[in-house]
Amino acid sequence: MKTLFFLSLTISIYFISKWAYGKTNKIYFSPLVIAPLVIIMFLILFNIPYSSYNEGSKWITALLQPATVALAIPLYRFYPILKKYFVEIILSVLIGSLSAIYLAYLLGKLLKLESTLAHSIIPYSITSPIAMDVVNLIGGVPTITAVFVIMTGVLGMIIGPYYIQLFQIKSDIAKGVLLGTTAHGAGTAKALEIGTGAGAVSSVCMILAAIISFIISPWLMSFIL
Amino acid sequence: MIRIALGMLQLTGLCLFTYGMNGLSEWLGLNIPGSILGLVILFLLLKFNIIKLKWVEVGGNWLVAELLLFFIPAAVGILQYKDLILGSGYKILIILLTSSSIVMICSGLLAEKLATRKEKAEKNEDAVFLKSNN
Repeated sequence: MKTLFFLSLTISIYFISKWAYGKTNKIYFSPLVIAPLVIIMFLILFNIPYSSYNEGSKWITALLQPATVALAIPLYRFYPILKKYFVEIILSVLIGSLSAIYLAYLLGKLLKLESTLAHSIIPYSITSPIAMDVVNLIGGVPTITAVFVIMTGVLGMIIGPYYIQLFQIKSDIAKGVLLGTTAHGAGTAKALEIGTGAGAVSSVCMILAAIISFIISPWLMSFIL
Repeated sequence: MIRIALGMLQLTGLCLFTYGMNGLSEWLGLNIPGSILGLVILFLLLKFNIIKLKWVEVGGNWLVAELLLFFIPAAVGILQYKDLILGSGYKILIILLTSSSIVMICSGLLAEKLATRKEKAEKNEDAVFLKSNN
């Protein structure tokens, strides 16, 4: 009963905000901004622990994996473009991923973030299952990393389109790179909103960023410790 | 009606496929999540015409279109780390905001420069293709 309630609550809030976002195009109505806020307020108001909410909502999370697999469809459709611009894409993602890791490390040091947190924040820009693996290697806490990853996704969805406009980024390749390299899955959802081409580029960037971070993580470990 | 049934069938197929990929990754000791392995393998299966696009398109497009829905429970999960957020939240926010801004701007501008250079060099038949798909 509770399971069904939280399941339908999440789905209905999602579709309402999606509708409102479609009508107004205001970023605060974006489903990943408003829906978690409303649900968090609801849980706090009625003093419901996250674990009982998750009894229902875990069925939604379960679809994230097949949804990621389904990103193969835009990838397949835009393969000719991706192939053509592959060098450009991989070069941008490489620079982006390396600076993402370095900046998180540097800023954590500068702000004197407590060391567990400082390690856990390093893979903030890569898709959460892989971020959690990376953080295991470098000595952080995977569940905290998952929180940073989702925060980055939400943030990236909000600020990404703003930067696209500010810096007058025109090509779908660059839009996809900008969103996918930093904001992984959530950024890819945003990129798909801009266009299927940008979405396909973004999913490639998400994968590349994850692979790059995964490959360098053993080396990273000696660098940090 | 047929489309809905077809979509549901494809959705189930994609779920089973993902489940299988998780198993495969574990069995091979790959350390890669099944979703990423599945993405790559499904892409290859489509590319080499082993799976036809129309076999997965309806259900797959549903999933892709509602991608954000599947992130919502994880975002609500931040609630579990209330103390962390209240304690070091501002530092975390500064780090995430600053570094993602720099990374987005650098990688975006770099890609824009590289891509437009290539477009100019090869004339813009691709630009037309990209635009027509928006």
